[in-house]
Amino acid sequence: MKIHFKLNGVATEVEADPDEMLLEVLRRDFKLSSVRETCGVGICGACTALVDGAPISTCIFLAALAEGCEITTVEGLGGDHPVQRAFEEAHAFQCGYCTPGMILTVKAFLEENPHPTDEEIKMALGGNLCRCGCYVKIIDAVRRAQLSS
Amino acid sequence: MSDPRVTGSIRYAQDIEFEDMLHARILRSPYPHARILRVDTSALPEHVIALTPDDVRGLGHYGCQIKDQTVLALERARFAGDPVAAVAAPTRREAEEALDLIDVEYEELPGVFDVVAALAQNAPLVHERHPISDNDAAYFDMRPQQGTNICHRFRIRHGDIEAGFAQADVIVEETYRTASAQHAAMEPHACTARWHDGRLEVWTGTQTPFNLRMELAGIFGLPEERVRIVCPPMGGAFGAKTFVRCEAIASALARKAGRPVRIVLERSEEWLTLNRHPATIRVRVGARRDGTLVAKQVECLVDTGAYADCGPGVAQKMGFASPGPYRIPHVWVDSYCIYTNLPPNGAFRGYGAMQAIWASERTMDLLAQRLAMDPLELRLKNVLVDGDHYCTGEVMHDVHFAECLTAAAERAGWSRDRRGKGLCVLMKGMQTPSRASIVVAANDDGSFTIHCATAEMGQGAWRSMRLMAAELLGVPVERVHFAEPDTDIAPYDTRTTSSRSTYMMGQALVEAVRQVRENGELGYGEFVSKGGLDPDTGQGIASSHWHQGAGAAEVSVDEETGKFQIVRLHTAIYAGRVVNRAGAELQNEGSMIMGLGTTLFEGITFADGQVTNANLSDYNIPAAGDLPQMSHDLIERAGADIHGLGETALPPVPAATGNALYSLGIHVTELPISAEAVLQAIERRDQRQATHDSKEGAKEGRR
Repeated sequence: MKIHFKLNGVATEVEADPDEMLLEVLRRDFKLSSVRETCGVGICGACTALVDGAPISTCIFLAALAEGCEITTVEGLGGDHPVQRAFEEAHAFQCGYCTPGMILTVKAFLEENPHPTDEEIKMALGGNLCRCGCYVKIIDAVRRAQLSS
Repeated sequence: MSDPRVTGSIRYAQDIEFEDMLHARILRSPYPHARILRVDTSALPEHVIALTPDDVRGLGHYGCQIKDQTVLALERARFAGDPVAAVAAPTRREAEEALDLIDVEYEELPGVFDVVAALAQNAPLVHERHPISDNDAAYFDMRPQQGTNICHRFRIRHGDIEAGFAQADVIVEETYRTASAQHAAMEPHACTARWHDGRLEVWTGTQTPFNLRMELAGIFGLPEERVRIVCPPMGGAFGAKTFVRCEAIASALARKAGRPVRIVLERSEEWLTLNRHPATIRVRVGARRDGTLVAKQVECLVDTGAYADCGPGVAQKMGFASPGPYRIPHVWVDSYCIYTNLPPNGAFRGYGAMQAIWASERTMDLLAQRLAMDPLELRLKNVLVDGDHYCTGEVMHDVHFAECLTAAAERAGWSRDRRGKGLCVLMKGMQTPSRASIVVAANDDGSFTIHCATAEMGQGAWRSMRLMAAELLGVPVERVHFAEPDTDIAPYDTRTTSSRSTYMMGQALVEAVRQVRENGELGYGEFVSKGGLDPDTGQGIASSHWHQGAGAAEVSVDEETGKFQIVRLHTAIYAGRVVNRAGAELQNEGSMIMGLGTTLFEGITFADGQVTNANLSDYNIPAAGDLPQMSHDLIERAGADIHGLGETALPPVPAATGNALYSLGIHVTELPISAEAVLQAIERRDQRQATHDSKEGAKEGRR
């Protein structure tokens, strides 16, 4: 089936099977390797993309459901987004595998709640796991992103 | 903004692509122990390449310490998950569908699922023989016990153990258990293999490029130079990406297909690929009335699963970590590496030390209680200081145990109130002996490029190398590049494990930089650490230097339900000299957070040899919301050696937490610590208290 959506600002059309997940389509057809599979069951957040501004686990989101949506991956942030800058300044990553998903979740979160408490930050990060255990510095990055935006 | 981790442009092994590449999947045994009678692939469509036992029967055996593995299981599957066949197809989906079309006939065999059963007389043998590997990962003498399930036993014999216990006023004894755990690196195991001009080339996330090259050369009967390993950065590893994982299957498939083959493991397959060794550890320790330790006896039973992997090394390290950083005149250690029909266990951040420290440091608090001593005072009285001999006979130098302990205790407010608080002090060895070598090349534009085989898995090693080189060269770090490790170019290195790279490569770098400054073109440096232990006596050099640290935990317990929380956590780690500040902090924090998982909820569960929680919904790893109040110290000394920091802050978390519970009379012996275990311990404490009270009451009544 043909699916149409806006990907990182560009209108696109793609052919996908009805049972294919968005993750597969973004990686295979658009070579967006920042969208990564870890758990495959929507728990870890490594495959996060923004669908109409909301963070979504693309490993359990049917590609067909993206029809007409606006999809953003970290490639679409341009590299100099305040949240990206804050992650770099705070050294909020080690292996970097979970980082794109973290950044997108934080972007959406701060847009909704520009001045969160630490407890709210921890809860907002609940769907993004980091096995390197960078949470102390990730929380710091969220605070910095909040100050700089 | 340039960091490829923030822009998402970093490329891991799973992102390597070739135009005509095939995607592979592995068919695994559903039985924990079974004879393989027939593997029938005749139903597969023509465009799917199948790899069966018959394809690999003629290939070499492998195994980094004991040579007990074949590319696929041949006659017998030894755990539920043992690869029995593999397929490669143009798409992952076609490969997945092809697995269902392979027909395998098995004959189930009785299995052994714990170390006690495996040691029983007439227990089924997981392997008939235990041939010692010629890989340099077999760096110590091994003592396989042929005709049993023991593939290695390690001993320490120091002093006269019976005389030692005879001198003791107080003896305490306890048995501890730790569960298996899964590394759960965010990036799964991934590799792509291709054959090109009669050479095998593999792009893989590995911590051990040279060990892997040697194994693949052995399997395919090639000279080592005809195998090339390229190591992109990894999305986490923690010990899981060592030696041979899926590379041999990918290579064999690629050879049969005549095309590049990529394997990316499914998440559930991670639990069938490599886990942490569960251990049963019995500790008996004796002291004089004043707290002076006189004797310690330890037995470690280390479950290595169906294949030895580096289990012998883990058993050795657990053995020599178990006496702890103390002066003890009489020590007796027996550590056994034991096969079972469970998935293989291997290197895991801590490498056996966590299990040993859990048992050893919990016992120190039992002893403190029996002696009515402050656990801090008991430790300070006995910790090793410079010039002391460890039970291996080696002389300790540059040791700072008292300092680490005092720092941790201070941060915990130990002197104000000890209730709900616990301490732990630890030492952990570094891979010894080992060799590191490095090349620094001057480029035409005035920049420099480092070539070495140190792998990047998120620990920040590449940045640390660049920082050290920049300092030595006197140029900004931006002018120093690090080339992705490639065994065709980088000189030999033992491997990126045991927190050795910054120290070892840092030493090798000094000579490489001296040369390149002198000749303006190319410098080569090498550094070798010497040592090793006698497997029968444990005498020698266990570690050319020691990772050292201490931790303090504070808990709050809901006495009605047994649910408890770690409220505050602190570690004090000896760094010697910090090279990469942010990286060092991240390693400490990351180790502590991984330690939280080990303490609170990480344990692989099995039923009849099957893993029952092989996913991240049933197997929990720490999330941001699990964080207690956390802090840590990096202790430095002017002119000191660099000390690796990759693992030291993990082991204090479980032991300090267990001791914090014990300060409330709650004695637990198993990891992870469940609320149920805490509740049972509370009930046992209250019963003891009631018995004690009624005895006191009876005494009172008689007066």
